[in-house]
Amino acid sequence: MNQAEVSQLISKLRIRISPRHKNLKCPEGPQGRLNKLRKTVNALFKYERLELNYTIADETRGYAERLISEAIRHGDTHKPTMEMADYWIEEKQLIHKLFKVLVPRFSDYKTSYTMLYRAPKAYPDIVYPRSVLELRGNPFPSILPQRIDQRNFIHNILLEEAKKAYRAEKYEQITKSLNEQDVVDK
Amino acid sequence: MKCFTSCFYKKYTYTLSRRYVSTSKNVEPLSEIVAYQNNLFDNEQKKQKEAVGRIEKMIIKYHGVPENVTLSMNKGISTPYDCAKHISEMLVKRTGLALVDNTHLWDMHRPLESDCEITFMHAQHLPDPYHFNRAYWRSCSLILGAVISKAFKNDIQPTLHSFPSPNVKSGSFVYDVELSNLPEWTPTENELRILSANMVKLAQTSYRFDRLAVSEELALDIFQDNKFKKEQVPNIAQQSIDKKVILYRIGDHIDISKGPMIGNTDLLGRCTITAVHRLDTKYGHLYRFQGVSLPKGIMLNHFAYSLLEQRAKKLNAARLPDQVNNDMFVPRFSSEDSIA
Repeated sequence: MNQAEVSQLISKLRIRISPRHKNLKCPEGPQGRLNKLRKTVNALFKYERLELNYTIADETRGYAERLISEAIRHGDTHKPTMEMADYWIEEKQLIHKLFKVLVPRFSDYKTSYTMLYRAPKAYPDIVYPRSVLELRGNPFPSILPQRIDQRNFIHNILLEEAKKAYRAEKYEQITKSLNEQDVVDK
Repeated sequence: MKCFTSCFYKKYTYTLSRRYVSTSKNVEPLSEIVAYQNNLFDNEQKKQKEAVGRIEKMIIKYHGVPENVTLSMNKGISTPYDCAKHISEMLVKRTGLALVDNTHLWDMHRPLESDCEITFMHAQHLPDPYHFNRAYWRSCSLILGAVISKAFKNDIQPTLHSFPSPNVKSGSFVYDVELSNLPEWTPTENELRILSANMVKLAQTSYRFDRLAVSEELALDIFQDNKFKKEQVPNIAQQSIDKKVILYRIGDHIDISKGPMIGNTDLLGRCTITAVHRLDTKYGHLYRFQGVSLPKGIMLNHFAYSLLEQRAKKLNAARLPDQVNNDMFVPRFSSEDSIA
């Protein structure tokens, strides 16, 4: 019974990984697929926000998440981690960015390290679904519009007050009917 | 073919004649008193413009969208509206109220007096459009007054009394009016609909709110045929610091209000006059006209709007015209309206 819970010991990514991989168009076979993904993983660490086809963005996301979580877990003195970073990151200066910039940035995060948004399609054209993949905490303006507080707009004030008035009226009716009942009971 | 052309021609001339038909029926000549009032107002406005004298420059700073700007404007002549015109059309269209140095609320058509920093407020002003909403509600009351004074037939003479201080939370804007020759009147649905339509029509003519501070004598002269306003004017002048009465004009309708008002009537979007209640006061029978409206750019589902209309039908609990000692008495004048 004193066994530690297994799920605590194994690191777990904070994104959902689908059990089956997504097919990419790769005439060069499995190696071509890896080359493609390496390119996008590298670009993600370089630019922090990319617009991609949905399939490749989704695949890339898993690799990028894994790389960051390994880097946070083991640090830059761990040989297998460094080898993995060396394989996935083609521009070698970005390895420094991973360990010196991204690890401190993400070490306190309780959420995933990347975000994947679906991007709009140009309607009449038949195109692959597009998406936007980004590292969290990037310096760009946020993709989703900032939610503004509309409570004080005139229509919301009017509706709020109408609601209060309606409730007051209902409560009054209820108390009145209760009083009448009391009178009947007596 | 010939027949066709002739038919076509006939139709064409018909539309033409309809199109260029005289609209004289719609344009009523100004009644004598309204013309007299406007004449006085115009003269005073002209006099005040000339009193500015030598033109001096002032520096106006604007910080915000679309860009930060520093303008050099004419002291005592340029208004926030002029500043907005220099910056962006978007500001001109949506702005209802200006905020000077983050303290004083300033009408869009009131000349600026010295170097200042300016902010433009609109219906979706962040973080809080409270001051715009108040100004909007007050302006709605004033427009309602203008509608009432024109809506009735000649034998029913509406005498405007006043409107209480604007309170958006009360659910309706209000104008208290005396209708001579109409002691017992409950308006039908259609009558209310006509009033609403008139109000929208008046608003869409896009009159600007002219602001003018005048002396007590002139105000008395302007409101000589209105027994209520004549009574209020000395009181108002006494309470104001510089002994002036502030008048507003939209089109040819002139009214007293402390302000500030919105810049133009076309900011009024959806609008309904919901109810007319009879009040028994010491001034006799007054009618309280009530309505609800939303500014342009605020969209609301028709069902939600109908809830607002139903609420606005109930008698507004604002100050009655004869409750003078109430704190909310409308002609409470300070030299500046500030948000502090």
